[in-house]
Amino acid sequence: MRISAPVKAAAQRLALPFLVFLSGMLVVFGKTDNLLYDGLRVAVADRVAPILDAISQPVATVSGVVQSFSDAVGVHRQNAELREENARLLQWQEVARRLASENAELRDLVKLVPQNTVSSVSGRVIADSGGAFARNVLVNVGHNDGVERGQAALTGEGLVGRVAEVGQRTARVLLLTDLNSHIPVEFAVSHARAILDGDNSEQPRLVYLPSKVEVKLGDAIVTGGSGGIFPPGLPVGIVASVSGDVIRVEPYAELARLEVLRVVDFGMSGVLPQSAVPIPRATGRAAKAAPAPAPAPPAN
Amino acid sequence: MPLATLRDVGYPARLLPFLSTLIFALVSVVPINLPGFAVVTPAFALMAVFHWTIYRPDLMPLTAVFAIGLLLDIINGTPYVGLSALTLLVARTFVMTQRRFFVNRTFPVVWLGFLAVTVANFALVWALVSMLRGTLLGFRPFLFQAVLTVSCYPVGSYVLARAHRAFLIRA
Repeated sequence: MRISAPVKAAAQRLALPFLVFLSGMLVVFGKTDNLLYDGLRVAVADRVAPILDAISQPVATVSGVVQSFSDAVGVHRQNAELREENARLLQWQEVARRLASENAELRDLVKLVPQNTVSSVSGRVIADSGGAFARNVLVNVGHNDGVERGQAALTGEGLVGRVAEVGQRTARVLLLTDLNSHIPVEFAVSHARAILDGDNSEQPRLVYLPSKVEVKLGDAIVTGGSGGIFPPGLPVGIVASVSGDVIRVEPYAELARLEVLRVVDFGMSGVLPQSAVPIPRATGRAAKAAPAPAPAPPAN
Repeated sequence: MPLATLRDVGYPARLLPFLSTLIFALVSVVPINLPGFAVVTPAFALMAVFHWTIYRPDLMPLTAVFAIGLLLDIINGTPYVGLSALTLLVARTFVMTQRRFFVNRTFPVVWLGFLAVTVANFALVWALVSMLRGTLLGFRPFLFQAVLTVSCYPVGSYVLARAHRAFLIRA
């Protein structure tokens, strides 16, 4: 079909204003109604996942090679550090064993109902928003693997964020640093509650603290149970800076370099068969820092 | 639909600008776990849109820019679907007005032009997101991404120029 020249010219002249207007409307629409977009994002992510998976594997290989070269340079120093750390961790292991047996005895004494089942599934990061104002990652596990919205995503080091959207074979994890991330946390020692608010910087902010709390650099922050999403006591990070009202937390997890995440179902609904043993389906990254291993059962 | 007609004409090579921009957009979301590489990644799609708008604007129509921007927004999982589409359209329109100046210039001049476009682009993104959120966002991540994008331009441009020569100039 031939379109007459004037019509074509008019269409070309109007294309730009029309498309700009359309984009603007889409942005404004997204601010009022997110449900449609959520569905769209999930559907597209599921379709694009195989492509992203295919692209990300060679990229991961190349990064791995570069990484091993840079590792080789510092291998001597690293070896010494690891030996030292190993000695320290062995002490912790000893402590943990003792506490575990003591814990078991005490549980027995007070007839405590066993913990809910903790099952986890590990996923590889296949996309990273990489933008200047959105901090999230796409992992290659979804509904099919038992991932649900709201579950916690962890690395060996600590909490990374929560699952925001789930498709059949992908899930989007909103990182702690994202503008829309608000996670109930508490101080590991004083149990003072606060909210950890992402503000697009590398270190999220602590807000809504009780006024009398004394905050020191290096205070450990763990998840708080008050949100009802995460179990309390998951390691999150440490207080990295305090200046006036602004308290910033350095997450334990290295959010800039996420490769494998563990999405953990803590069975908060309590309907799963009871056994206190974690059932990892694939191995996550080994724990590095001193705090307790990730699925730390709340010690009562 | 300019894209449909291109396909009807039967020149698969003429889809090169669109496809390469699409691939660039996808590459920009792939996690690169290099040591020292920051949270942000270069805006590869902007490079491709800039390159093709200068050298083959006829094969980089507005609808293609819009579609790629939209896809990028959806894959990125940003709360503002349409934002990249909008800013890429603005970038393309601006480059179109200065196109005559850039064609047949040496690479450093074009690079300098890309610097200006990138800075303007990220300033716009920053302003829009700040406006949508109702607070002034920190400028650093935006600045950082702009610097990263500009410094990666030679590589992106080289790849596109090679593809350009291989597929589009032979005819």
